[in-house]
Amino acid sequence: MSGNLERRYRRVLRLLPGSYRERWQEEMTAAFLDSWLTGDADADAYISKAAGPSWGEITSVAGLAMRLCLNRAGTARRYLPRGQVARYAVLAVTVVQAMRGLSGLVAMAWSRHLFGWIPAPPASMMASGPAEPAQAVFYVVGYGWVVVFVLLVLGYYRPARVVAALAIVPDLVVLLQHQFNGRLPTPSAGAWAFWVLINLAPVLAMSAFHRDAPSPARWPWLLALPVGYLVVYAPLLALQATGNSAWVPDFSGLYCILVAIACLAHAPRIWFGQVARSGLWSRTLVLLAVDAGAYRIFSITDYLQDPHLIDVSLSELLILLISAALVAPDVRARVATTGLPAHPHATAA
Amino acid sequence: MFDTILFGMTDGPMTGQAFFVLTALADGPRHGYGIVREVADLSNGRVQLKIGSLYGVLDRLAADGLIEPDREEAHDGRLRRYYRLTQDGRRALADEAELRAATARVVRARLRLSGAQTTG
Repeated sequence: MSGNLERRYRRVLRLLPGSYRERWQEEMTAAFLDSWLTGDADADAYISKAAGPSWGEITSVAGLAMRLCLNRAGTARRYLPRGQVARYAVLAVTVVQAMRGLSGLVAMAWSRHLFGWIPAPPASMMASGPAEPAQAVFYVVGYGWVVVFVLLVLGYYRPARVVAALAIVPDLVVLLQHQFNGRLPTPSAGAWAFWVLINLAPVLAMSAFHRDAPSPARWPWLLALPVGYLVVYAPLLALQATGNSAWVPDFSGLYCILVAIACLAHAPRIWFGQVARSGLWSRTLVLLAVDAGAYRIFSITDYLQDPHLIDVSLSELLILLISAALVAPDVRARVATTGLPAHPHATAA
Repeated sequence: MFDTILFGMTDGPMTGQAFFVLTALADGPRHGYGIVREVADLSNGRVQLKIGSLYGVLDRLAADGLIEPDREEAHDGRLRRYYRLTQDGRRALADEAELRAATARVVRARLRLSGAQTTG
């Protein structure tokens, strides 16, 4: 009797993730039909034929599906991983961006003798003349990423999203400008990949930070920025200052190497069974490896004229792949149970 | 442990919908659509829960141990699952009701004060 109406509602429920649908579909369908059917055979036959889920119902299911994906308000803890993985990944990319911004600021300050107690940098690193507007914007953007990272860690999610959205605009403007005035080869896959994968994607993924999301632990993350700078960027600055710039990887290579090191550091924890909470770090690292790998692949096209740099880029990619392969087996769905039995009519749709 | 260090889990505030659902179950077990109707009655029609929203809330409350399944009954060929409050759920509802009542008292007091200042 409820055939058509039921079928239409079940079609809407396909928006939900499979594991969730399997658990709740029968109950949701029963409750939905209860809200429509009257118990009168003729009326119910007509309703079943003519009626369908309202836009309000469809929107509520779509909203639930979205919340389940991003772990927004009103979703149970066992559906946390996707949102949590997104937050880990955003924080990781943002801290690297912040380190990069900090590095630019330090290099600029050094080249302009703002650190009086440090010997002057070599001539190759000295700033010549006043800063161009584009340079100034670059420094502001770099500073912007530091601000974004700190805001995220301190829990000011909305301001962080706004600053991040503003911070990626100058890069886009410069990119479009260079693309149209011919300063970049057409199309410049590396530059666009940077903007999409390193700038835009984290900003979009920041929607996973919301008022009901678990707050990141402040001090470990806040310390990650200065420590990361000292461990990663300070040595690179030293290499540049000592005339060994050839050893400094480009940003894509550095991103690959950092993710590879993180995978290598995490792999023993998997082998010794120390990984907790649904393999969150493994998923995050694999996601970051995909991001870094994609960026490396696209940016190789910038070196088509230089076989040596292509070899270096492919080596970085290979190291990344091998490292990611060590943590990839840990990435699997581990849906925790809550003690709620599945509905007796539950079927995997 | 690393996860715990980096992401301390914190509980968010109880949402309005969760508050109404717990209130609907306060006087006895109800099934899904029964909760929808009770919430509409409790709120004088202001809160009309859609099924998608209801089950998002029920899932969260069950996972947090505030409600649990009570029984199942067949109705027109469909099984209805009834839910009831747990002891934790009863306590959480009482705490939330007290919190909201205290907030309402403060709001009323301030409105009276500002009303007196405006008229005075």
